[in-house]
Amino acid sequence: MMTKQVRYEALVKALHGDLYRYAYWLCHEKQVAEDLVQETFLRAWRALDSLKDEKAAKSWLITILRRENARRFERKRFDMSEYEEASITDTKSVTTEQELENHWLREKISQLPPEYSEPLILQVLGGFSGEDIAAMLDLNKNTVMTRLFRARNQLKEALEAEPVKRGMYNG
Amino acid sequence: MDDLQFRRAIYADPNNQDADAILAQEQDPSKKQFAQEICQLDEKIKQALQIPVPDDLVDKLILRQTLATHQVQKRKTRVHLALAASVAIVGGLVLNFMQFSSAYHDLGDYALAHVYHEQGNIANNASTQVTLASLNQKMAAFDGNFSQSLGKLLWADYCRFDGMKSLHLVYQGKTSPVTVFIVPKNEQLSFTDAFNDKDLFGSSLEFNRSNIIVVGDKNESLGQWQQSISDTVSWSI
Repeated sequence: MMTKQVRYEALVKALHGDLYRYAYWLCHEKQVAEDLVQETFLRAWRALDSLKDEKAAKSWLITILRRENARRFERKRFDMSEYEEASITDTKSVTTEQELENHWLREKISQLPPEYSEPLILQVLGGFSGEDIAAMLDLNKNTVMTRLFRARNQLKEALEAEPVKRGMYNG
Repeated sequence: MDDLQFRRAIYADPNNQDADAILAQEQDPSKKQFAQEICQLDEKIKQALQIPVPDDLVDKLILRQTLATHQVQKRKTRVHLALAASVAIVGGLVLNFMQFSSAYHDLGDYALAHVYHEQGNIANNASTQVTLASLNQKMAAFDGNFSQSLGKLLWADYCRFDGMKSLHLVYQGKTSPVTVFIVPKNEQLSFTDAFNDKDLFGSSLEFNRSNIIVVGDKNESLGQWQQSISDTVSWSI
């Protein structure tokens, strides 16, 4: 019993951040993301004995989280219209150039179609290989690579189309 | 690797470590520059994706799991308690059944077993004798009375006849002692009027509230014993 508890706490500490961020990019709402992570870890706790390989833990948790997210749509028919741009995280007051750029890029990532953003997030944030992502999303590897290519391509084009100077001008 | 292929490969995975992609970068400075640009873009994307995680999320996750576990455990202990109680009840019933149910099917079986058990204790020619008066004193417990002695009574005492208080009489027989039991009627053992094994024969007489069982060897005339018992015994109500 004790060892299971220890394993669980280690799992939470190591992976809750990645999972929360992934959930956030999946649903674009902080509160929903938090709920998703909670549900995911609760399910993970119940099924912890089935997790043999600690290395596979992250993809295992992400698989649970995706299923949880899908269930959310089964339970409640969401209004699937485009989310408000205002709901995109604006966590800190835009002070530095870096944060300004982050904020701008976040919007662009949010605007990517989910089938492009999801593999991108898994690759950049999760550090998964093309094969891993293909397995998790149940796609073939070529499709995943094409979507990754398109995602970056769109972001790069958006970045280049943006005027060099943007943001606030003082004085 | 042509330019388009290279671009696609880098776009799909900026940290591409394929031998082809690395070779292409080394051969062509513009490709190398492109790869670096995309790497920078990726770094920016990474920065952008690193949205802040709520500080208390870890605590919430552990709290929620602890509560869930606690509930499961509570449910489990309740189930365990119920199981333990059931096992205890069943155990008690089984013990009860084993202790208080008889291992013998009928009067005959038990009577024979009882006689064999005591066989060595009393010799047929023993000098002891029990008087009719003391026999009748004992018979009073069964509301019975013998009007005269059936023969030489060697021994008379109460005994447990399959858990029932009964009177055990041993008379001198022709070759071996003849045993007479006076047993209260009971549902547990079914009545058998005659029984035997290879050495001993027995017969039972049924009265209102008691059975009288006679067991003797093949030299005894059980019919005669029965007749004299019927003639001499009387029951007060």
